Amino acid sequence: MNKTWKLIRIMLKMQYSRVGKKNSETALLVIALLFLLPMAFVYISVVRNALTAFYNVLEPLGQESLIIGILLLTSHIILLFVSFITILSAFYFAEDIDSFIPFPLQPYQLILAKSAGPMIYLYGTAALFYLPVLFIYGGVSSASILFYIAGMMIFLLLPIIPFTIAGILLMFIMRFVNIAKNKDRSKVIAGISSFALIILLNVFIRLNTDVDVIMQDAAIFIREQDGLLRWITAFYPPAYFGTMTLTAITIWNGILSFFASIALHAGAIILFIWAGQLLYIKGVLGMGTANKSNFSDARLSKKTKVSPVWLSYIKKELRIIFRTPTFLTQCVVSSLFAPIFLIIILFMDSSSGNIGGLLDGVTGKHGLLILFLGSLLIVGTNATSISGISREGKSWHANLFLPLNPKQVLLSKIATAWIINLFTILLAVILFVFIIKLEWTLFLIWLPLALLASWFSSALGMYLDLLQPKLNWTDEQEVFKSRMIGLIGIIIQLGIFGIIVLLLWNLNIINGIYMTAAILYVLIIIGIGVMHSLMHHKIKQKQHQLI
Amino acid sequence: MIEIKEVSKHYSGQRKVINRLNLTIPDGKIVGFLGPNGAGKSTTIKMMTGVLPIDEGVITLDGNDIEKKPLEAKRIIGYVPDRPDLFLRLKGLEYLNFIADIYDVPKEVRQERIERITKQFSIYNSLDDYIQSYSHGMRQKIIVTGVLLHDPSIWILDEPLTGLDPKSAYILKEMMREHANKGKTVFFSSHGLEVVEQLCDEVAIINNGELLFYGTLEDMKETYKSDQSLEQVFLELTSNE
Repeated sequence: MNKTWKLIRIMLKMQYSRVGKKNSETALLVIALLFLLPMAFVYISVVRNALTAFYNVLEPLGQESLIIGILLLTSHIILLFVSFITILSAFYFAEDIDSFIPFPLQPYQLILAKSAGPMIYLYGTAALFYLPVLFIYGGVSSASILFYIAGMMIFLLLPIIPFTIAGILLMFIMRFVNIAKNKDRSKVIAGISSFALIILLNVFIRLNTDVDVIMQDAAIFIREQDGLLRWITAFYPPAYFGTMTLTAITIWNGILSFFASIALHAGAIILFIWAGQLLYIKGVLGMGTANKSNFSDARLSKKTKVSPVWLSYIKKELRIIFRTPTFLTQCVVSSLFAPIFLIIILFMDSSSGNIGGLLDGVTGKHGLLILFLGSLLIVGTNATSISGISREGKSWHANLFLPLNPKQVLLSKIATAWIINLFTILLAVILFVFIIKLEWTLFLIWLPLALLASWFSSALGMYLDLLQPKLNWTDEQEVFKSRMIGLIGIIIQLGIFGIIVLLLWNLNIINGIYMTAAILYVLIIIGIGVMHSLMHHKIKQKQHQLI
Repeated sequence: MIEIKEVSKHYSGQRKVINRLNLTIPDGKIVGFLGPNGAGKSTTIKMMTGVLPIDEGVITLDGNDIEKKPLEAKRIIGYVPDRPDLFLRLKGLEYLNFIADIYDVPKEVRQERIERITKQFSIYNSLDDYIQSYSHGMRQKIIVTGVLLHDPSIWILDEPLTGLDPKSAYILKEMMREHANKGKTVFFSSHGLEVVEQLCDEVAIINNGELLFYGTLEDMKETYKSDQSLEQVFLELTSNE
């Protein structure tokens, strides 16, 4: 256990030791948090109002435990989704495992140590969703101190089951996917399959949701105390026992539920360790040596192609992104995940006729402003530009000794981020044209504006990365983890253009879609110009050589 | 020709790592650059290749100032870095095409050179594999191939023989000799004194950022009035500092 503990400490140190070390980054983080503070107040007050209303309806029926049941179920579902992503990154995409394998360590010790990072992330996520509701529920129901103590204990247990389910599933998948010769490709396939699994799961649940049947069942269960709780948590005991612990903590039923809960979680951990011992190392190890296949002169002739430098550079960037599992997941898949998810949900709703009126208000000036800000948010979350320089790692110096114009290097990197954003914009086009059926004028004004916003966002991301790149990484994960640069980028663009949109929204002098569009076009072009001149200035100061 | 004039360099908050270095390397010579760890060899090479900015002084490559005309200067040189771990997710041939695009090497020329050099280095059959799957020596060979695609007039190599098998090391040494015989410059840093003794026309020894000696091995023996080997002179020179 001592060795496991030491491993956990080393892995956490490698991941988090740099946090807060740069003063400028800490200052930016504080500003970002200040921006988020009003949103936190809004979030808490919305939750409080909804919960109070819900409680007042359910309490006279003796069904208030349903609230906690839903809370635990929702938290577990969210944590399960987050677990898939974090486990895949930490267990399989992070290459630091190669340096631990030669040590005399048991596989279970490695997976326990590897779990520390994702678990911290999961506790953060759980705190965000679970704790506010817990405390508000406690306040509304005038709960005793025991409720809060039990609540905190349940909080400590909360991520364990989703984490172990996702972990065991992924270890099983990776163990068999990894038989393939190309380790990277296997990782990419497994990564995309996991995202697909999440989406399919959602589709499956939605297809099996028959409102009439639900109402009939609910009518039966509502007649008995905690009936609704038993009904919704019937297929998932951890949520049932957790809820009973919280709602009946003062009686034997609650205490027994608590012990049942502890036993369930302990069982899950043992199962996880056992599966890890059996499957993990075999899933991690790959065959990574050159093939020594026969290469023919004809193939050399076919594959030797001359391209202009900028095109060759963009091709190189795209190849590296698409072939590096971490880069592919962070730069491409995760930015496509949300739009695809949205499209599927909206498509299913539209086929069942529920979508009518969803975007009826999205017309004219206000429609354009909403779409513009939405586009900026979507392209702003893409990690390609903010990692443009950092992705190079120790290869960055090749950009310096090769006869490449630094301006051309940065422009090619911006273009790469812009091209990757095109996938997201294409999905938005599908959404607007085929599902939402946006009016044509608005669509035709929006599309070029979104393409320009994407260039602005990419240039801003690249500039921020040029100021504080992370080149000294040993594992590609470090390019994205513990860096606030992405959040800072979004806050800057939403801060600037959010205020502009707010002004345009409220200024009555600016009327009609064309006038608004003209102003937005001018402003975004000015924004692009400013970013390019800032970058030019930094190149003159030899910033590219100093990083 | 490489000209280093009064070049100094210091990293922030530290003493000078290079102190008023002067060195002129003529065409048609192989020059070995020697010095103990931390002597300033890599910093000098990084300034020569434009990786690091120069604090004071001037470096010119065939008359092109690396600071004022960086692109022209870099087009003349071919640089083999000490660590060959570049663009690992590209395939060997993709890497070579990328480099050839940067140096504007025409299709027929690049095809002929890729075939000839990679066959010499026995990596031809691995051209369709990812560089990540290459061994250290194979990575070194693909970088050297890339550097030779545009037939540079100045060849700068940082520890080029590390990790190469005897046959490939022999081929590389032959290539360096051929290159110098064509009237071009070869400048390389090394820890292997035997290689320097065997291959170099001239030797530059640096320690604590200052040039201790520059000349032929015969000059060295004459200067230090000794029949000692290069190793003994090197140890003596660098331990006195």
